[in-house]
Amino acid sequence: MGTAPALIHPMTAEFADYLRDESRTTGTADTISFPRSEADVAGILRSLHPAGMPVTVQGARTGLAAAAVPDGGHVLNLSRMDRVLSLREQDGHFFVTAQPGVVLLNLRKMIASRRFETAGWDEQSLAALEALKDAPEQFFPTDPTETTASIGGMTACNASGARSYLYGPMRRHVTALRGVLADGRVFSLRRGQCFADGLRFRLPLADGSFVEGSLPDYHMPQCKNASGYFIAPGMDLLDLLIGSDGTLAVVTAVELALMPLPNVIWGATCFFPSEQSAAQFTEKVRADMKNIAALEYFDARAMDILREQRAAGGVFARLPDPGGMGAAAIYAELHCASEAEALDGLRTLAALSTAAGGDPGRSWVARTELDRETLTFFRHAVPESVNSLIDKRRQTVPGITKLGSDMSVPDGRLLDVMELYRQTLAEGGFEYATWGHIGDNHLHVNILPRDMAEHARGKELFLRWAREVTAMGGAVSAEHGVGKLKAPFLTVMAGEAAVDGMRRLKRAFDPLWQLGRGNLFSEEDGK
Amino acid sequence: MNIIVCVKQVPSSNEVRLDPVTNTIVRDGRAAVINPFDSHALEAALCLRERLGGTVSVLSMGIPACSAMLRDCIARGADRAMLMTDRAFAGADTLATSYALSLGAKKLAPFDLILCGRMAVDGDTAQIGPELAERLDIPHVTDVFDIEPGQDCLFVRRETDDGVERLRVPLPALLTVTRELGNPRLPSITGVLHGEQSEVTVLSAQDANADPDQCGLSGSPTQVTRTFVPQGRGQARSIDGTAAEQAAAIADIIGEVL
Repeated sequence: MGTAPALIHPMTAEFADYLRDESRTTGTADTISFPRSEADVAGILRSLHPAGMPVTVQGARTGLAAAAVPDGGHVLNLSRMDRVLSLREQDGHFFVTAQPGVVLLNLRKMIASRRFETAGWDEQSLAALEALKDAPEQFFPTDPTETTASIGGMTACNASGARSYLYGPMRRHVTALRGVLADGRVFSLRRGQCFADGLRFRLPLADGSFVEGSLPDYHMPQCKNASGYFIAPGMDLLDLLIGSDGTLAVVTAVELALMPLPNVIWGATCFFPSEQSAAQFTEKVRADMKNIAALEYFDARAMDILREQRAAGGVFARLPDPGGMGAAAIYAELHCASEAEALDGLRTLAALSTAAGGDPGRSWVARTELDRETLTFFRHAVPESVNSLIDKRRQTVPGITKLGSDMSVPDGRLLDVMELYRQTLAEGGFEYATWGHIGDNHLHVNILPRDMAEHARGKELFLRWAREVTAMGGAVSAEHGVGKLKAPFLTVMAGEAAVDGMRRLKRAFDPLWQLGRGNLFSEEDGK
Repeated sequence: MNIIVCVKQVPSSNEVRLDPVTNTIVRDGRAAVINPFDSHALEAALCLRERLGGTVSVLSMGIPACSAMLRDCIARGADRAMLMTDRAFAGADTLATSYALSLGAKKLAPFDLILCGRMAVDGDTAQIGPELAERLDIPHVTDVFDIEPGQDCLFVRRETDDGVERLRVPLPALLTVTRELGNPRLPSITGVLHGEQSEVTVLSAQDANADPDQCGLSGSPTQVTRTFVPQGRGQARSIDGTAAEQAAAIADIIGEVL
């Protein structure tokens, strides 16, 4: 543990990377620190608190909504808090406690190999590790596309991924966490132990004091949602911290529940003649099949882009060729207890695909690790390819960014929202590619602007979608979090009064408005 | 063109571990898979069939469970599969394995071409292809990365230490192939369901009229006198901190060594 002043470095050129994140937005800051422990975090925050210094919390900076991009002040980078602190076993279930800087990819490797860095672990954790070695193989199901995401960042934005269709978002797998308030006070929360009383809440802190206040009177959309605070009368306060976008406290440890790995995991990509038939297939699969863990969509343009990348060679040359397969594709992942069950699943997918106008003879099945990696690579290559296409355009028009939507709607509105996207994109003459989590009615529509005028029109269209999706009962951000880039959408979705209530809630935790300044909403409107 | 592809089942993990006590491969319950190099051979065979017509047969020697791998080959497009399985084949080195496979190939005759992966990832000998060709008395070329059909022959290219060789190979012939010939295509749902319903022809030593003295352990002159896990030669140490701190730490380590 270092002393706080020694841990704080001036923001010199060598730290310039820490002014940016994957959203490709750049901010400003005066100082930066890389704490290794909760005590370091508390010390740094205590030293910054008297001056009311803004503090932006960073994990692995893989977020797409600029939540980790600083808005002046101090950057608290948690990437060196990268240890798994303990392991717990209870009735055959396993729970890993990770520091926030642990990278998802590394956590997965540790769980799969059952090998952890155990220095400093207590007897109980070591005994749990022995039990883990004898137990059926475990996994942590939250699977955002970016596997270099940090556990802290994933908690802050309530991350999801393809498999959230079956397993739900990060929230469902967080069983406890520890955190530090902007003034350096520490707390711990375990699921099931601290509830709001109606809309009143009282969070006990380690020093015997409390954070008290009121939750806004606000109803969240009933669909996949990562837009603003989780609010519900009588809620578990753990849920308030998950998805709070670094605005309420600095998370210093997260306990995650592991699950037994399904015996059989097979993937199948089915192709369809139109987006409507792909959507019909989705609705039938959703109604008829219980062992599907992921349902992912690719539109014709997304597949065109992949075909172009494949033809260009390099690492993309090993992509399977979607040429001539269809105008839309759905990837379905089966998680089953046996191969017989998975084969039955394939038979059902074949029947549903045929009924929706597809051809099961023109599909891709992945049953081996190598084939699964191929289909995963196909899925992940879409956003990568779009990013590189935009990077090329930025060489001539530097202001251009990809405009990616992250909105979801309730079941029953999928065809409506797809029609909204199709019609308005055609009216605007935009170039775009669509992919994403169609099982959760959650598509990423990516507008690929060719010039700044189109970029501006694209942003206006997103605001229109935010209004229309809200009217459908949907969410303006389903998994990326609101961060700074989608803050205007949160107000559209929740309304000024609810956002004012969220501001009061934040002020109860962070009276000087230090943490995550600019994330979710601005301070000013609420004054 | 009638093509036989020889395929071997290997452990699926690419981190093969040896038991520190018995020095045998730890089979940790993960599924076994087709040897990756053999999967490139299968893809090459399917591409040739698409251009020239004919059939693709897959041939393997192994335990009865290997039939699942062979069905997977059918799912990807192979026309038929043969598994040579018998306790008499157990413990075979490359000489005895090539003997058994030569009997299987004769059962699948007539053939124009045999394709093998350049080696198996669990044994790394790269001997099966050439030995099988010698047993069948047909020409062979190893490490082929490009195949072009000619009139009753193939034009192939292979990489050598000195450059690339282009060879004309009369048929029938045997080629061992590298990954450049393409990743295995993904099976379709229809293909998987067809593969599961397909028969794999099973051949015992007796079915193949095999000479017991040339099979399995009896037919294997290779003697494994010792297997061992090599000792690690060093320890990795990660350094972090600011650029200046990292530079200072590296300087300290160099100082310790000097």
